[in-house]
Amino acid sequence: MSKPFRITRARVPGHVVFIVALVALWEFLGARGVIDPTFAGRPSGIASYLWRGFITDRNLWNDLSYTLAAAAIAFVGGSLTAILAGLLFTMLPGLHRACEPYLSLLNAMPRIALVPLFLLWFGLGIGSKIAVAVSLTFFIVLAATVAGIRGVNSDHLVLSRALGATPGQIFFKVTLPSAVPVIFSGLRLGLVYALLGVVGAELIAAEHGLGQVLAYLQSTFDMDGVMALLLLLALLGLSITVAMNWIEKKLLVWQ
Amino acid sequence: MSRPVGLAQTAPAHEHIAAVNLPPTIAIRDLTMRFGAGTADAVLAVDNVSLSLAPGEFVSLVGPSGCGKTTILNLLTGLLKEEADGDVRVLGRPPREGNPDIAYMLARDSLLPWRTALDNAAFGMEVRGLPRRERESRARDLLQQVGLGDFADKFPKALSHGMRQRCALARTFALDSPVLLMDEPFGALDAQTKLTLEDLLMQLWSAHRKTVVFVTHDLAEAIALSDRVIVMSARPGRIVADVAIDLPRPRDVRKLQTDHRFHDLYAKLWRLLEQGAAAHE
Ligand SMILES: Nc1ncnc2c1ncn2[C@@H]1O[C@H](COP(=O)(O)OP(=O)(O)OP(=O)(O)O)[C@@H](O)[C@H]1O
Ligand SMILES: [Mg+2]
Repeated sequence: MSKPFRITRARVPGHVVFIVALVALWEFLGARGVIDPTFAGRPSGIASYLWRGFITDRNLWNDLSYTLAAAAIAFVGGSLTAILAGLLFTMLPGLHRACEPYLSLLNAMPRIALVPLFLLWFGLGIGSKIAVAVSLTFFIVLAATVAGIRGVNSDHLVLSRALGATPGQIFFKVTLPSAVPVIFSGLRLGLVYALLGVVGAELIAAEHGLGQVLAYLQSTFDMDGVMALLLLLALLGLSITVAMNWIEKKLLVWQ
Repeated sequence: MSRPVGLAQTAPAHEHIAAVNLPPTIAIRDLTMRFGAGTADAVLAVDNVSLSLAPGEFVSLVGPSGCGKTTILNLLTGLLKEEADGDVRVLGRPPREGNPDIAYMLARDSLLPWRTALDNAAFGMEVRGLPRRERESRARDLLQQVGLGDFADKFPKALSHGMRQRCALARTFALDSPVLLMDEPFGALDAQTKLTLEDLLMQLWSAHRKTVVFVTHDLAEAIALSDRVIVMSARPGRIVADVAIDLPRPRDVRKLQTDHRFHDLYAKLWRLLEQGAAAHE
């Protein structure tokens, strides 16, 4: 789905020069008042916010761990149930047909709109964040699992049946391995959306978490903090993608 | 030399076959196959076909597209769920799915992309429950025989078309089933690679002694490889002719390309094929 994120080594100096120049320009224009720091923050302010948050005051660690824990729990729970449901659906096509309209309806709902409901049901804490993230991850991974299993090469099935493979053998030696790449790209997307769901719900109402911090900073017009949080979230998303690419490369050497 | 329909019990004279008096390995009698019987769009795919193969015989099926060649192979493997009329026997027994006496090879190599060449060559044996050591040593041996000894640990993506089909040959022969059913196995290859693989198939066949039903659209290929070539008509598939190929063995597929007897047979089969194709249009 998303293209692997990669910077070739030869390009690194170029990127460093560009970023340093951009940051310097931003700082300079901010100091001269051309860019209003109350609206855009300033690189020095952003850096000092992050320094306080992670090194001296260390208050961001706690919020970061809340956000990551919620995303991780939602990702693992959501994708496991999605894969199991996908397997069940391929074993029982009748059940799949029966469930499909309802699943489509649920999937069509803007999930962030469910946050008020989930807050009522699961409280201000981590539970409601997990619920929102699961509601995103589950459908993504479910669709990928079903597509992956349906996409199995029919020649492989004919060959296996002619060889006398049992249904179990066919499933574990042919169908499942052939579905793994598709399921994996679903997992990659599911993880990004788990993070999105958690942060989105935290923005609306929470006790802890990066989204909650972001909402608070925004309400107090602390633009250095807001920019720092946005940078942090972008880097978080990026490291997820890089990590998933790395795992995929190790796992799917045959591709 | 073309025999009337259904009288195919005599094996051709060639030195490998001392089996004329043995019961046939494959016996098809009065086979009629209708898909979707009873529905408005029923298709008569195979019409009253009788055919038998002596042990160790190599027989090709040629005929227009849709005349039921694949259907006949599928019936022999027991892969078809629909019932056919007539009697089909493989080694004296009716067909059943997963029959260990049969190795089936498809047009596309059907290698599993997540398995190395070695594990692909061993796949059939794995499914059939051979112990790991035995299947690996057999797979390695067969890969050697098809010229892929150095590629055992490569994944299919790293193999060329011809190499992949060699690997599929290794998988097929590693099974050591007495009956081989091959459905246009070299259909997708370029002419040169095809000749090389035909030669390879001849070597393997001479070394392993299988009874082979070989489906192809390529008359030259059918002649070069077979003891007999069965020509089928357009749908509904009937046997138009059963032509013995009395070229001496062992054959060199490349040398045959310039042999005049080879070309005579080619011309004859071509005419029969044209007649069969025209008969039902
Ligand atoms: N499972 C099926 N259900 C319905 N019709 C079928 C089925 N399999 C084959 N047929 C029909 O039976 C006829 C013979 O098909 P078959 O695949 O045996 O032809 P073929 O001789 O192998 O053709 P080709 O040379 O193109 O591979 C065709 O008309 C096809 O449409
Ligand atoms: Mg066919």
